[in-house]
Amino acid sequence: MTAPAITADHLARSFGTTRALVDVSLRVEAGTVCALLGRNGAGKTTTVRILTTLLAADAGRARVAGFDVAHQAPEVRTRIGVTGQTATMDELLTGAENLETIGRFCHLGAATSRLRSTALLEQFDLTAAARQLVKHYSGGMRRRLDLAASLIARPEVLFLDEPTTGLDPVSRAEMWTSIRSLVSGGTTVLLTTQYLDEADRLADTIVVVDRGLVVAEGTPEQLKASIGRPFVRVTLPDADPAALERVRLLLGDEAEVSGRSVSAPAGAGLVTLEQVVTRLRELGIPIHEVGLEHPSLDEVFSTVTGHSGHPAAPAAGAVDRR
Amino acid sequence: MSQTAVPTERRLRGGLLDAYTATRRFLIRGKRQPDVIFGTLLTPVIFVVLFGYVFGSSIVVPGGNYRSYLMPGLFAMSVLFSAANVSVAVATDMSEGVVDRFRTLPIARSAIIIGRSLSTLLLGIPVLLVMIVCGLAVGWRPVDGLGNAVLAFLLFELFGFAIGWLGILIGLLAGSPQAADVIVNIPIFLMGFISSVFVDPANMPVWLRVIAYWNPMSALVTAGRQLFGNTIGPPPSGVWSLEHPIATTFGLALIIIIVVTPVCVRRYSHSVR
Repeated sequence: MTAPAITADHLARSFGTTRALVDVSLRVEAGTVCALLGRNGAGKTTTVRILTTLLAADAGRARVAGFDVAHQAPEVRTRIGVTGQTATMDELLTGAENLETIGRFCHLGAATSRLRSTALLEQFDLTAAARQLVKHYSGGMRRRLDLAASLIARPEVLFLDEPTTGLDPVSRAEMWTSIRSLVSGGTTVLLTTQYLDEADRLADTIVVVDRGLVVAEGTPEQLKASIGRPFVRVTLPDADPAALERVRLLLGDEAEVSGRSVSAPAGAGLVTLEQVVTRLRELGIPIHEVGLEHPSLDEVFSTVTGHSGHPAAPAAGAVDRR
Repeated sequence: MSQTAVPTERRLRGGLLDAYTATRRFLIRGKRQPDVIFGTLLTPVIFVVLFGYVFGSSIVVPGGNYRSYLMPGLFAMSVLFSAANVSVAVATDMSEGVVDRFRTLPIARSAIIIGRSLSTLLLGIPVLLVMIVCGLAVGWRPVDGLGNAVLAFLLFELFGFAIGWLGILIGLLAGSPQAADVIVNIPIFLMGFISSVFVDPANMPVWLRVIAYWNPMSALVTAGRQLFGNTIGPPPSGVWSLEHPIATTFGLALIIIIVVTPVCVRRYSHSVR
């Protein structure tokens, strides 16, 4: 049984009167990908900055690759790779020079730095641009180079702070491919993102943070299963109050009327939908449309963080920590 | 668990290697900015023309040539301006994401700013060479032998290196490159002009003359004039720093380096954006 690659216990950090982190604990097993999911200002970057030795926590402790981030920062730094939100590559250096410089700073020596730089440029599809100055790179190329730079010392743990924010869909897909190929190589990854689909595609576990607190965690499947119950929605041809009331009674206690539609959580998916259609036909209520709607991942997110007024089922089960 | 002990020798070697890597990086960067190179090489030429002829034509130096008197002053000024540049450069470094990248790398905490300082010193050498050529072209001559002239330039560079650390400190403390630019230029103009760099302070009002005499820039430029053999008269009596300009400049440079460098390193490694 190997120790977790990252453990954080009750991290807290304030900036003046702003409490960026209130209480964040997490645990990432070696060789897995964990997504820290949250809106802007949720505390994602602050968490990453503490775990990567850039920022001291006011309270709590954290270990990365077996070392305490506060007291053993040099040991942590030799074992991590970090790609932040801001571009960190030197515009006036070529892609190859940037990677080689980082390699030399990691004490790999000139020859090894050059070898690994060449291999990484190849891996991230940047060979053609290797001798170009970074100022001529596109946004996607810069992010890939940044990611390559984080990997030159072959880190045990990789931190990616919003690796695809601001990228166009094509570059984003390329970035996802790059990240997935790393993971298959056994690197432990902690990534932050505000996109649910990104967390869903890349992560083994998702930790949802909001206002400096962990509000939910689990595998993507667990999160979706517990919060993302589908809805049956019945839409009538017009907003006839009597007919709407009859449909509401039919759909049960949790049904809600909105406009000319009635919606309710579907307990058993399609079975319920079939029952609903059958009963509606029996009652002879004129129907415009009946459908089963899966809450989008964004709705799942809203439910967990409690910021949106969608009539979704409350977050239930083990994943809810509030 | 205690801090893993790293042998001092290995740490020192690693630190030197990091400083070398950082210096190399800044030199490559410097090479890639032809507009900046052009500007910094043109500035000394403009200074020689501006002060040597525009002002110099109206300035009479007793028993000497004003342009010979001026040149050591201009060497001293180029050293000061270099400190201003490094200040803005450090403030710019600090405002960019690259600092975070460096701080998550297992490198010596001092490496990046030492690299900044050393590369500034090295990039200043061509500027000095251009200035020497300009000086020779307008009639300045180091008449006290080549050895003393080399010694003079080494003293200028040492003082420049020391003042550069003050510039770095200002760059680290300033909130932005713009702020650094404004803040650093105030002491530079005061130090440069209230001194014997351009004119003999003997004709200044008493209070200003006292400041000018004790200004370290006066000691530096007096040391230069002495070693080049461009002195125009005995130093004012009672001003120790001008009676012993070489010792003053050398000592002051060492004190600044010893005191300010660790402050800069601590400030750099603790600064949080």
